[in-house]
Amino acid sequence: MRPLIHAELRRLLATRMWLGTLLVAALLGGGLIGLLAVIGPENFDPPMPGLHTEAGVRAVLGFLGFTAFIPAAIGTLAVTSEYRHRTVNFTFLFAPDRWRVLAAKLSTYGFAGLIYGIVLSSTAALALFGAAALRGVSLGLPTATVIELLARLAVAMGAYTVLGVGMGALIRHQVAALCVVIGYLYGAELLLMMIPGVRHLYPWLPGGATSALTDFTAVADALSQQLSAEPVRLLSPLAGGLLLLGYTVLASTAALLKPMRRDVI
Amino acid sequence: MTGIEVRNLTKRYGPITAVDTLSFTVRPGAVTAFLGPNGAGKTTTLRMMIDHVAPTSGSVTICGRRYRDLPRPTTVVGAVFDASAFHPHHSARDHLRIYAAMGGFPDGRVQELLTLLGLADAAERRTGGFSTGMRQRLNLATALLGDPRVLLLDEPSNGLDPEGTAWLRSFLRDLADDGRTILISSHVLSEVQQIADDVVVIRQGRLLTAGPLHELTGTAQAVLVRSPDSAELSRILMRHAQAVRADGPDELRVRGLDAARIADLAAGQGLRIHGLTSEHPSLEQIFLDLAGERTNG
Repeated sequence: MRPLIHAELRRLLATRMWLGTLLVAALLGGGLIGLLAVIGPENFDPPMPGLHTEAGVRAVLGFLGFTAFIPAAIGTLAVTSEYRHRTVNFTFLFAPDRWRVLAAKLSTYGFAGLIYGIVLSSTAALALFGAAALRGVSLGLPTATVIELLARLAVAMGAYTVLGVGMGALIRHQVAALCVVIGYLYGAELLLMMIPGVRHLYPWLPGGATSALTDFTAVADALSQQLSAEPVRLLSPLAGGLLLLGYTVLASTAALLKPMRRDVI
Repeated sequence: MTGIEVRNLTKRYGPITAVDTLSFTVRPGAVTAFLGPNGAGKTTTLRMMIDHVAPTSGSVTICGRRYRDLPRPTTVVGAVFDASAFHPHHSARDHLRIYAAMGGFPDGRVQELLTLLGLADAAERRTGGFSTGMRQRLNLATALLGDPRVLLLDEPSNGLDPEGTAWLRSFLRDLADDGRTILISSHVLSEVQQIADDVVVIRQGRLLTAGPLHELTGTAQAVLVRSPDSAELSRILMRHAQAVRADGPDELRVRGLDAARIADLAAGQGLRIHGLTSEHPSLEQIFLDLAGERTNG
């Protein structure tokens, strides 16, 4: 397995995409959170609780959860680009045990996703504390709790990257896979929440699991409010994290059962 | 056994049989041309050799083992399929370094192959800008990372200019002379005639013939006879030759007799001969004849 992980690391570092991705993480973490914190949630339209409240801090940090499509897309590309550029010919020649190829990609990109998450969270922490200091606001959450929330976000980014790898292996076609992953994260799940009865499934869906992991309930609460329904109860953070990994295992297993075994022609 | 052994190999895609109970062997130290028209099942057969395609039935062993059972497969087999199997933003060196790591080969091997394949000056360039010839060289470099004893190449000269084709021929010749097993598929029969030692010819997934090229061309050799007494001569020759065909009013094409024997037979009957030309048929002609025989048969 080590040679395969070594090869995947080399593949990952062979273009400057990794540098660009980390730059995006820093821009989203530092830039987005800095901007939101400087403006102040109380000045949003509609207004939200300020940074001096717990809800305000959670709401601002929760926006980072919406950027999970980036690591998910990177994970997806890790597999689909092999089929698109036909490198899969050589990859399966060098590693005829295809499950090893997938396992190496899951490990490598899980690690890479975590690094992405750490950059995202660290820059977000700097921006949040910096903006609060600049505005002279005392944050509504203790520093340790903020750091814990950001650490969970970093883990969520790693989990989404491996989920992307699993989905890429399952779908193989690059454009189709990206459409499914991003389309689901941004459309299908929110639509599901609007269907009476079905919305109770939300805690068990990837988005609900991420919300549980990151303690970000603003979207679920807002939708519930608009639909005049009871708020949806999310899982515990640990259960949310495990559920995300469960989805990855499910996608990877399904991929190994059929798509990755398909003839390479 | 260091070559390739194909036994009753069959691949069906639904109602279509792409490869049909195919059996042949490929020996080491020779270049074997795997021939057939487009869609004959050549690529499918090659891909079944390295587990890219799962056979419906039958087996392929390389050096006595199935590909997946080889301990370090790329030290035994190298294979090239697509003209371009690289990430366009990777440099040639990056591409080779990835697969060197995957195969557990030292980075020194990468530089060795870049030099051997004449890619040292282009090593840092993105493969997206490579010419067909350079892509084919990089393909070969990747396949050779593990210094394999068996090389499978699918239509390797597709898109190569005459200089590239000549280079490839000489490169493959050297590899075969070094004792390696080289199997190259092609639908351009005239091209491989210049390099192949052995041929395996298939059509519609079935074996037409297999064996040394010289035997195949030898048995198919014909003699063109010009004689004003062609009608009488034809009757005489038919008793001794495999086939006699009238090609014109004074011309006969004779198979199964050499020129000297034809001249002797004609002289024995006092028949005049104005010309005798031995013909060495092209692979195309042999293939067409074989395909015709199979169709007619």
